[in-house]
Amino acid sequence: MKNLKYLILAICMISLWGCKPEKFAPITTDINVVKQMQGTWALSKVTQIDQDASTKGFPYKQVDITSVYPYTELVFALVGDGQGNPTTFTITPGNSPKIVDLTSGTWSVNDPMAPTTIELKNGTVVNTLSVGSYLGLKSGVLTIKKDKKLNGKVLLSYQYEFTKK
Amino acid sequence: MKKLLLSIICSLTAVFAFGQGKVTFSPASFTAEDEVTITLDITGTPLVGQTAIYVWAFSNDGVGGGKDATTNGQWGASSESAKMTLVSANIFQFKFVATTLFGQSPAELINFGFLAKTKDGSKQSQDFKPFKFDPLVFTPSQFRVFPAKFDYTDMATVYFHQDLATDINLQRMYNVKVNLTFYNEGGIAVGSKTAIVAKKESTVLYSYAFIPERVITIPAGTKLGKFTYQFTGSVKDANGQDVTTSGPVNEVVYTVFN
Repeated sequence: MKNLKYLILAICMISLWGCKPEKFAPITTDINVVKQMQGTWALSKVTQIDQDASTKGFPYKQVDITSVYPYTELVFALVGDGQGNPTTFTITPGNSPKIVDLTSGTWSVNDPMAPTTIELKNGTVVNTLSVGSYLGLKSGVLTIKKDKKLNGKVLLSYQYEFTKK
Repeated sequence: MKKLLLSIICSLTAVFAFGQGKVTFSPASFTAEDEVTITLDITGTPLVGQTAIYVWAFSNDGVGGGKDATTNGQWGASSESAKMTLVSANIFQFKFVATTLFGQSPAELINFGFLAKTKDGSKQSQDFKPFKFDPLVFTPSQFRVFPAKFDYTDMATVYFHQDLATDINLQRMYNVKVNLTFYNEGGIAVGSKTAIVAKKESTVLYSYAFIPERVITIPAGTKLGKFTYQFTGSVKDANGQDVTTSGPVNEVVYTVFN
C-alpha cells in the first residue's frame, strides 16, 4: 500500500514535469510588404471620402472622381535597394492633378513588415500617406490614402488605387 | 383613517421627490459632438454631504449598442477622469463630449445615462437616464456641395437637385450651366468662369466637379478664401422661346486644414 502511494506520487511528478509549452512552427512565412510595394504603379481609381459625413451617418459619403480629370495618367514609382529597403520615388503626373506636393525624393515606411504609413521626403518637405489593405498587393493593386485634418480630426480623405505596370 | 392614509401618501411623495437629485445640462439640448456640462445636485440622494463623487456613464440605454464611458474605471475604484468638480455644497459638475466619452461615432449615439457614486462605489445615486442626443440630421436642399469641408486645392462638386427646387423656373430649367467665381482670402474676386455645362447625373440632378486651378489661373502666391456658384439655364416663355433663368448665388468658404 505504501509502495502504491509512492508510485502515484512518482506518476504525478513525472506528469507535471512532462507539461512543457510546445513550440509551433509559424503558419505562414513572413511577407515583406514593403518589398511588394516596390515597382511602378499607374493610378487607376481616385475616391474622395467625406469622413465627417461618414461619422455623422449622412448620405453622400464618397464620390469616385477618377474621370473628372486625367488622374489615370499619373505614374508612381517606388524604388528599393538590393535588400528591399525603400530608397527613392518618382511621381510622373502627366495631366493628372497632383496627389501630393512632391514629384521625387526618398520614401520610407513606419514598419517594413506591416507598414501603415508611407513617408515621401524631399529636403524639408514631407508628405505622409496611409497604406491601405495589403490583400491587393499580391494581385498588383496598391491602395494608399491621404487624409486632411482639422484640429486632429480627419474630415476629408482621398483613396488612391494603383495598378502595377 | 383618511387623514392617516393621506399623511402616508404625502410622506412617501416627499421622500420620493427629495430622493431624486437634480440634473441640469448646459446647453439644454446637445448633439453627440457638443461639449456638455452636467450639473448635479446630490441633495436627497445617498451621496448627500460627499465632497468627492464620480460619474459612471453609459450610452444607448435600452436601445442596444451601448457602451460604458471610457472614464468609468472599475466600480470599486473609479477613474480620476470621472471625478466631478465640486461647485458648492452638494452641487457638482462634469464636462464631456459624448463621442469622446463613449468612444462612439455620432451616428451610433442615441442617448446616454449616468449615476454618481463614491470612488469605491459604497454609495451611489439612482440612474439618471435616458437623455437623448439631438440628431445630426442631414437636411436635403436644392443646392449642395461635396465634400462638406475642403480647401482650395481639393476637388469640389456642386450639385443642383432640381426635384427639390421651389422656384417654378428652376423646376423647369434645362440646358443647365454653372457660373463660378473665386475670391482670395481678402474677399477680392481673382477669377471666374461662366456658362460651364453641368453634368446631367439623372433627370433631376445636375453637377459640376472642379479643382480651382483647373478652372482659373490663380495669381502666384494667392490663397483662395471662398468661391461662389450659381446654376443657370433656360426655360420656355409663353411663346415657346428660350429665356435665360438662374438660381441664387451660393457662397462656399474654404476650410483651412491644419
